[in-house]
Amino acid sequence: MNDHPSRDRSVDTPNTAGPVVRINTAATRLRALGQSVGSALVVAGAIATAGCGPKDTPAAVGDTGGTMVVVIPAEPRTLFPPRANGTQELAVIASVFDRLAEIGPELTTVGEAGFTPRLAERWSWATDSLSIAFTINPAARWHDGVPVRAEDVRYSFHVYTSDAVASEARALLGNVDSVSVRDSLTAVVWFKRRTPQQFMEATYSMFILPSHVLSTLPDSALTNAPFGRAPIGSGRFRFSAWEAGSRLEIVADTTNYRKRAVLDRVIWTFVPDLGAATVKLFAGEADFLEQVRPEAIAQVLATPTLRLESNLPLVYGFVGFNLNARRTAATAPAAPHPVFGDVRVRRALAMAVDRERMVRSVLDSMGMVAFGPAPRALIPDTSGLRPLGYNVAAAKALLDSAQWLDTNNDGIRERNGTALAFDLLVPSSSATRGKFATLLQAAWKEIGAKVSLLSQDPSALGPRLEARDFDAWMGGWQTNPGLQGTRQTWASKGTSNYQGYASPTFDAVLDSALTSFDVARTRGLWTRVLQQAIDDAPSVWLYEQRLPVAVHKRIRIPSLRADGWYASLADWSIDPAQRIDRDKIGLGVAR
Amino acid sequence: MVFVAATLAFLLLQLAPGDPVSAIADASNVPPELRAQWRAQQGFDQPVATQYVRWIGNIARGQLGHSTSQQRAVSAVIADRLPNTLLLMGLALGASLLFGAALGAWQATRAGSLTDRAVSFVSLVLYSVPEFWFALMLLFVFSYWIPVLPATGMTDAAMYGSMSTGERLWDRARHLVLPWTALTVMGTAIFARYQRVAMRDSLAEQFVRTARAKGLTTFLVNWHAWRTAMLPMITLAGLFFPALLTGAVFVERVFGWPGMGSALLTAINSRDYALVSASVIVGSAMTALGSLLADLLRALADPRVRRA
Amino acid sequence: MTQPAGVRERSIARRPDNVAPEAIPGMVRGVLPSRRQRWKVPLAFVVLLAGVAALAPVLAPFSPDPPANYDTLQYLSPSRAHPFGTDGVGRDVLSRVLFGSRISLSLAFASVALSLLLGTSYGAVAGLFGGATDRWLMRGLDVALSIPRLLLLLAVTAFWEDLPLSALIILLGTTGWFDIARLVRGEVQQLRRRDFIVAAQATGVRGMRMLRLHILPHLIPLLIVNATLSVAGTIALEAGLSYLGLGVQPPFPSWGNIMAEGSGGMASQWWLTVFPGMATVIAVLACHALGDALRDRFARDQVPA
Repeated sequence: MNDHPSRDRSVDTPNTAGPVVRINTAATRLRALGQSVGSALVVAGAIATAGCGPKDTPAAVGDTGGTMVVVIPAEPRTLFPPRANGTQELAVIASVFDRLAEIGPELTTVGEAGFTPRLAERWSWATDSLSIAFTINPAARWHDGVPVRAEDVRYSFHVYTSDAVASEARALLGNVDSVSVRDSLTAVVWFKRRTPQQFMEATYSMFILPSHVLSTLPDSALTNAPFGRAPIGSGRFRFSAWEAGSRLEIVADTTNYRKRAVLDRVIWTFVPDLGAATVKLFAGEADFLEQVRPEAIAQVLATPTLRLESNLPLVYGFVGFNLNARRTAATAPAAPHPVFGDVRVRRALAMAVDRERMVRSVLDSMGMVAFGPAPRALIPDTSGLRPLGYNVAAAKALLDSAQWLDTNNDGIRERNGTALAFDLLVPSSSATRGKFATLLQAAWKEIGAKVSLLSQDPSALGPRLEARDFDAWMGGWQTNPGLQGTRQTWASKGTSNYQGYASPTFDAVLDSALTSFDVARTRGLWTRVLQQAIDDAPSVWLYEQRLPVAVHKRIRIPSLRADGWYASLADWSIDPAQRIDRDKIGLGVAR
Repeated sequence: MVFVAATLAFLLLQLAPGDPVSAIADASNVPPELRAQWRAQQGFDQPVATQYVRWIGNIARGQLGHSTSQQRAVSAVIADRLPNTLLLMGLALGASLLFGAALGAWQATRAGSLTDRAVSFVSLVLYSVPEFWFALMLLFVFSYWIPVLPATGMTDAAMYGSMSTGERLWDRARHLVLPWTALTVMGTAIFARYQRVAMRDSLAEQFVRTARAKGLTTFLVNWHAWRTAMLPMITLAGLFFPALLTGAVFVERVFGWPGMGSALLTAINSRDYALVSASVIVGSAMTALGSLLADLLRALADPRVRRA
Repeated sequence: MTQPAGVRERSIARRPDNVAPEAIPGMVRGVLPSRRQRWKVPLAFVVLLAGVAALAPVLAPFSPDPPANYDTLQYLSPSRAHPFGTDGVGRDVLSRVLFGSRISLSLAFASVALSLLLGTSYGAVAGLFGGATDRWLMRGLDVALSIPRLLLLLAVTAFWEDLPLSALIILLGTTGWFDIARLVRGEVQQLRRRDFIVAAQATGVRGMRMLRLHILPHLIPLLIVNATLSVAGTIALEAGLSYLGLGVQPPFPSWGNIMAEGSGGMASQWWLTVFPGMATVIAVLACHALGDALRDRFARDQVPA
């Protein structure tokens, strides 16, 4: 159960939208003029205030040092790791806290391949593979100086699975039975079943928490404890300050067991208005914007101080069809949906969509056509997949053969007095999906289907989907490495399979793909799983989306990991030759 | 007043469709039995009357509930945010009153002239511009096109900590300019419109004619008239509060000003019912306080009332 | 900005312009319409706007829906073919603004009509009955006025997401009548003391008949002025709510939500924010100017009375 509907920013920035390739050159020139006037004024201001007092500017040494300002649209809700879910929270948490071991850049989830030590310096498997003993790095210290111990691991598992905490990550820990403490530096994780992904389950799902700080509190008080706004972790950054509504700051932990972070500090500044956020970036007040809207990309490229870094998150978008009649209880034997119950209609709708052109239009170079219910980064082999190609004539013929005919010449097909008409739910938070919906509406009108768009607030969308009270919806799923979430989202018993897609073949092959230890065999299995989902067309598999980040030229980034841009944040650095004022603040003046 | 606002907020909460618990977290990931447990924790499973009594009792004791969007007490959120809003609104109100009164009085002394009409028209235009759009335009012009002023926030996110006191003041002032301007320009337009009418009426009063007949200089005559004309301005300042509050919500949002307005909008986006209700209560309390204060001030300023 | 409550009546009740017409230089008098006629200019503007909204399907050069060749028409900066540019799915912004005017204006007119109905009835009842009824009704009104309207609207839109257009009209209408009620009540109270009402009462005219024949006609100037100013306020308010994503929901165009769609790209696609904003300013300005001018006009008429 690791997929969650992409209702929050982590998947789809509200108003993330179409491309821009054209910039108004006249405006750019005028702006340049304005900037020179502006800088003159700024200089005048600086002169006016010069000599106001001494400035504390210890020079940064070598490659270390510097300040990066990140602009984000929403303030984190909490920094208490079990209760965090948005990227704006995880970016800070992943920098301040550590996992036992960290997944590799390829996001391989079978066995322990690619995993590197973090709090655990080494680990050993029991012979029956039902437990793994993690040895904590004896040098590891919490940011308050207390050493990290095996008890912290046991406590963290307890918190993550506590009812009172209700962590969303709990579902990921379902296969972990318990954690025991063998000695002060050895924690043993016990599993219920042997699975290919059990190492990942034990490490990826859980940040280790300081039990000496938290265990004095009852579990029910943890969520609202002050810790959530002033966390103590063991990561290469330590938490420094959080000013409600304006900014959050982390600084390098200079005594860290894995060496200090290269940057001195990273500051998140909260700007709810998207227009203001981009202006802040262009004006040089901020160095980093996580999800650049496609229409702002040309502007980023035209700004000499900025560059784009490609970032491919594990997200795919689709139009989900409700295969059963509306409002059918998930358990009751369902009547088929009058329109979508017929696979020919679904295939016809899929074939009527020129996905290439649509994706190019909405997302420009930032989009790709999705293959099936998985992002390509996680599909072992895409070469064998045969998509439903764009073919309006074939789509029309298919509808004709299914007896959907326009008998009264109103442009909409009917069958037995029922019109080929349906509602399409669109999350109002996502401009991208809104644009797709607008274009789909036009495409389906071509083949005689009438679509009404219903804009839905994200919080209202979820309950409607759960009540199966919909015809079709603009969906998007964020996946985790390993794709176990596919069971939850598309298998017939999956709790988030709102479409009611039920294919015994799909279920069986998916189960084999997820439980096979044989990597070579898995490739073929995944091809069969995805092809089944393409042919049954429970959804139009629509798009995948690059969400490039805009970053100031002076910042050097080793790599961006697909499951979160922030994974390597502690290794980012500033080009010493290009330091600006805020890079010279030094570590001493954390406020 | 506050009591009524609290009751209203409670009614809204009760009438709102959907489950307040489903708003607390993405409900799809939470099993039903856990949701039931949360309901019990929050007291949502009790009869409405019980909940209401508890709600009013809590508010009377200053316990405004728990903010789900910030995972802390609502009162802590207000303590953080309200001072920032009051700073912005206070400065804007003061300046609007000052500029508006001066401008309106100046117009009244040359009522009907071309300049008077031109100024009236300009203030009518400014008064007609929606404040969020005006704020966006200010941001676009002064932070992007001619980047002389910082776009958002109250202080420089990175440098403020290492500044000297003088630099800090300068930094704060620079961050204040745009949001303050956005609020003040429109406030000035409103005050000027009313001051102009009040001053003109006052200039026509008997005592002004007497003063003029006594041969007082034009300046002194105007001064006396102005003092009388200021009285309705004080009342207006009190009544102006809700409008100012409206403006502040939009302006805070555009300029990322960490006040109550931006907290309210975030709360709305994340269905944080407790914080939304508390914001309505605080806003109503501010309005009530504003008109009370205006009444008091007017009583102090008006010799006729003072004597009586 | 919404007009502060309760101040309006003061400037209406006060004596009108006492500047003699000859104080205006002759040159200016020639250029500007005479003071008595001044309301005609903004009225013409308002009528023009309403006409444009009514005729949007005829006037708009393009459909408000995406064109077939959407991928070649995205984010075009203003040109002769698209004077206001195009948006992210190739829609002509001028056409969107024209169609948006229908929603923005009709929403404002409809909700103000509702406010007038509510406010007039409430105020008339309070003013006519007087005594305890009046006291209680006025106390209720004070309470309603103490809650800032925007906060109330925001709270309601927060709790009931994705309101349909009709609900938005009702919401704006039911939160906008408090000022009107207060003004009407004041006016009715004054009227009650006037000779002709006392005379009518003496001849046995009562209740609805009294209201219809003798009170309402005298309220009309006040109501017209207030309605005009309320329409201005409501247009601006709707734009603001829609900008925050809480008002009119896409794909229906309204001036506010066109701006909302464009605000993130303000630095590169300024036309998406600037043109709908200017349309809003012009509409609000025209209504304000009309309201002001009508107020002056009616006030002048009342002087001899």
